[in-house]
Amino acid sequence: MGNLLLATILLPLAGAVLAFGPRRGARAVALAATVAALAMAGTLVFRYPVGASGEFAVFDAAWFGADSSIDIRLSVGLDGLSLWLFGLTALLSLTAVLVGWESIRQQASAYYRLLLVLETGMLGVFAARDIILFYVFFEFTLIPLFFLIGIWGSSQRRHAAIKFFLFTLAGSVLALLGLLAIVLWDHYHSPAGQMTFSIPRLTENLAAAPIPTGVQLWIFAALFAGFAIKVPMFPLHTWLPLAHVEAPAAGSVLLAGVLLKIGSYGFVRFVLPMLPDATAICAPWLLGLSVVGIVYAALVALAQSDIKRLVAYSSISHMGFCMLGLFALNPLGIQGGVLQMVNHGLATGGLFAIVGMIYERYHTRAIADLGGLAKRTPRLAAFMLLMTLSSIGLPGLGGFVGEFLILLGMFQRAWTAAPPAGALPLRVISVLALSGVVLGAWYMLGLVRRVFFGPLREPKRDPAEPPVADLSAREVMALTPLAVFIVWIGLQPSFFLDRMSPTLDHLTGEAQRREVEVTADERGWTQMDGRAQTTLANGWHAPRDEGRGISANHALRPSGRATLAFPLSHPRPSAFIRGSTLLRTTTTAPLTPTRTKP
Amino acid sequence: MTTETLHLLMPEIVLAIAAVTIYVAGAFVASRAVWSWIGLGASAIAAAVMLIQQPQPAGPLAGDALGQLIRWLALGVGAMLVLTASRSRAPDVPEYLGSLLLTVVGLMLVAEANELILLFLGLELIAIPTYLLLYLGRHDAAAEESAAKYFFLSVLASALLLYGFSFLYGTTGSTDLGAIAARLAQPAAGQDTLAGLARIAMVFVFAGLGFKIAAVPLHFYAPDVYQGTTHLNAALLSVVPKAAGLVALVRIGLLMPGLESHAWRIALALAVVTMTYANVLALWQYNLREGREVDNVDELAGLGQTSPVVAGAIAVCLFSLAGVPPLAGFWGKLGVFAAALDVQPAAGEPGGLRIWFIALAVIGVLNAAIAAAYYLRVVGVMYFRLPLASPKSEGGRGARFAAIACAVLVVLLGLASGPLFEACRRASPNVSAQANGAATVRERHDWPVSNTAPLRSRLGFSLAAWSSFPSSRWCCKMNVPQTRNPGPRRRPFILCPRNEREPPP
Repeated sequence: MGNLLLATILLPLAGAVLAFGPRRGARAVALAATVAALAMAGTLVFRYPVGASGEFAVFDAAWFGADSSIDIRLSVGLDGLSLWLFGLTALLSLTAVLVGWESIRQQASAYYRLLLVLETGMLGVFAARDIILFYVFFEFTLIPLFFLIGIWGSSQRRHAAIKFFLFTLAGSVLALLGLLAIVLWDHYHSPAGQMTFSIPRLTENLAAAPIPTGVQLWIFAALFAGFAIKVPMFPLHTWLPLAHVEAPAAGSVLLAGVLLKIGSYGFVRFVLPMLPDATAICAPWLLGLSVVGIVYAALVALAQSDIKRLVAYSSISHMGFCMLGLFALNPLGIQGGVLQMVNHGLATGGLFAIVGMIYERYHTRAIADLGGLAKRTPRLAAFMLLMTLSSIGLPGLGGFVGEFLILLGMFQRAWTAAPPAGALPLRVISVLALSGVVLGAWYMLGLVRRVFFGPLREPKRDPAEPPVADLSAREVMALTPLAVFIVWIGLQPSFFLDRMSPTLDHLTGEAQRREVEVTADERGWTQMDGRAQTTLANGWHAPRDEGRGISANHALRPSGRATLAFPLSHPRPSAFIRGSTLLRTTTTAPLTPTRTKP
Repeated sequence: MTTETLHLLMPEIVLAIAAVTIYVAGAFVASRAVWSWIGLGASAIAAAVMLIQQPQPAGPLAGDALGQLIRWLALGVGAMLVLTASRSRAPDVPEYLGSLLLTVVGLMLVAEANELILLFLGLELIAIPTYLLLYLGRHDAAAEESAAKYFFLSVLASALLLYGFSFLYGTTGSTDLGAIAARLAQPAAGQDTLAGLARIAMVFVFAGLGFKIAAVPLHFYAPDVYQGTTHLNAALLSVVPKAAGLVALVRIGLLMPGLESHAWRIALALAVVTMTYANVLALWQYNLREGREVDNVDELAGLGQTSPVVAGAIAVCLFSLAGVPPLAGFWGKLGVFAAALDVQPAAGEPGGLRIWFIALAVIGVLNAAIAAAYYLRVVGVMYFRLPLASPKSEGGRGARFAAIACAVLVVLLGLASGPLFEACRRASPNVSAQANGAATVRERHDWPVSNTAPLRSRLGFSLAAWSSFPSSRWCCKMNVPQTRNPGPRRRPFILCPRNEREPPP
């Protein structure tokens, strides 16, 4: 299986080497390579064992430095988190190749080569098990997309390409510092002398011996810079509309469908498992930013007159939902967030492909120029409607499952788990997020109504030209796989969630679950000093809080120590932890092999 | 001067003989090709000799892995520049090639030198042919101004360096770096002033070497000189003196026992100020004079379509400079940042130093991203714009070969940087051992480390960093197509902040 995974990653690269010559040959090679990669990725997805939380299809070889203290490895593997994004990448790459099939005529072989190289980069990001390898793929994806936007983009392509590259690069170099800091911290505090760059080993080590909260916050800031720009989170999103609008259709499909997910993937892969304390402290702020992004981008989308720009802003809004789910820090929210990444990739990738098809036919993206296209191109309209309905969360389609789980998780956090005091901001966030769903339906359905329904309105054409044709077989082939998965996720989400949730519990258990050791004597909690007691009295007094989200094991042992486990859905758990001198936090990782602290 | 020393110096001797032959016979045989082949042949012989050598300390020569690494770098750079010059239209090719080979010899001597006088000799052997090179190739007011400027400032820097060396000699009574280190580590009774004098020496040495590497505030000659000279010379200037200056800094500045803390602080301040100042100035000029900047790079528009191979090579090198993986420059970036983060506070140290190094890392990464803006602009012009005229690379086959070789190296070293890392790793512990013995590194160093491995990795990373940068940097420069009319349009446009007092158009 490991070899199959490696072959899947390298196959598009091999295709890129072979895709030379005239347009027809190059695009045939590209199609063959993406179809083969999709078949292999599909094999991996279907062979993935249900309920597994460990790794699957691991390939591991020394890259360099194996004999010295630094061991950077060529190591790839899949787990329940990366599996879906890996499959999504293979799926959308096929769509991307088919979307530009006719419209790309200038330097076609270079175009297909860049697409294939980009596919390898994206597959590698999700499969990498080595922090440096991850980063190599992470930054490497910038180069092909930079050229794709810059050469085959529309009028402002140069500006867009450079802005996209620089924004992401600036963030990612800071993320590199954060990742290196994690590696070095582990190196200095682990008994083994070797410096490990292995992501699973780092996750395990840091669960057993966490980084102090103060240091975590700094590392969090660095990683946030890199991943939040990529997602993008408000207010770091300004590069995205420009890049989307200027990029060729295939570039937009992959940018929205896959590359944005690298940001949120980074949060789940690195931030939540490795920096649980900082995550808990910063979660309310990230929730706030997410919801501002959701509502702000939705309002901006409402005001757009360009189809592509509208879809780009809807993308920011939907990625805000993903982040909201992830930082709700409970299983429902996190599962919803990850599933929403896949849904968003399918639906928005499909929407950008459709926008590209409209542009190819009419050479305009202005909403005002178009109307009633459902009469002219019924198949195109049907696909558009499906993607739109999934995107706004119609029950029965993928988008609904993701958004529902996210909102459920968020409401659970704001109402069920948290005590009344301090929950108000979280409740406001939840309600505002809900309004984002309404706004989303408003602008997306408004778009569909104006462009596809009502009287037929088309830009002036040469009367000698034949009327615009509906989707060709090639275009149907590009959109059908996306539609199939959108319906599948909507009808049978358990197929996806079952393969996802064990890994997610494993990865984010740290951030979700925490134990606080309190020292007390036989009389109960009264022996604590004023500060600690105040904190505890603030809704977390153990005897009172049973059944309110605390699973308390406060049976006092003779040593006078009690263990109190509580979920981090407390609005400010960090203040609770940090503000009490008598409390000592220790993390336990029930789902990972424990390791004694050095 | 023993036979071992001579034997170890054989590559340098071969190159020097070739250089002198070219100088003398160049007056009689005007063929460009002959001299290029002789230069290449001499480099090949030198490389062959180095292959069979078993380097070991001999007399004033360190004979360590650091020296070997830099010598190979020097040979490679020399061979590439000879190739590039093979189609140069300038009439004084023999003089050019001879001077070029001598600077390579100078760099190789600096790499090997374990002794103050030899070190100075090597540095001068780089500087003096450079004065000549700056006068060759171009004959206009700007070229003469740049040559004169470089000459006077370089002489001043050499004098400062020599003054610093004299303090070192005066305090320790030896010119051997090992002996100096030993004396400074264990000052005899009643020699309390010794440390103070060594500090003065350190300031002068930093000033002198700071000029070579164009560190702020000793950078001010660089924009003028780079603009005033040919691309080839700019390529040479951006590699050889800088590599020499850095090796000399490693050999002298950073490894003096008892003085590391001062040395590190000076180096750190220099690094931060240099990269920020240069970047901010460049950014300022980029914004204010964008109209003219674009005009300047216009020559490259559409190179991606007219000569895709050369454009590809330049693009690879530019991305490497921007530090994008999986190219060689990325590993340099990674190494430097890891090294800066890796600093651990000492037991007695208040921990402030660590903060400064982390700040250095953050400032460094942000500067790397800012610098990427210039590199990307060039890539953008080459690929994203329609060709205006029909630019094509005019360096000829040699330059084309050199460019492709560079790009291939950058990619290969990026994908399999194992050998380079290994060489750098081997190079670094010897450096530390030479100064004060590996065992004492831990106590003497500004930050004691849990074991010696991180120290080795730190130095190794830093070496990897700058050994991977120059080749790409210079490849970009020399393949710029040159317009027919000599003049301000022929200046190199990458990496040199525009002249602060540039004449009006």
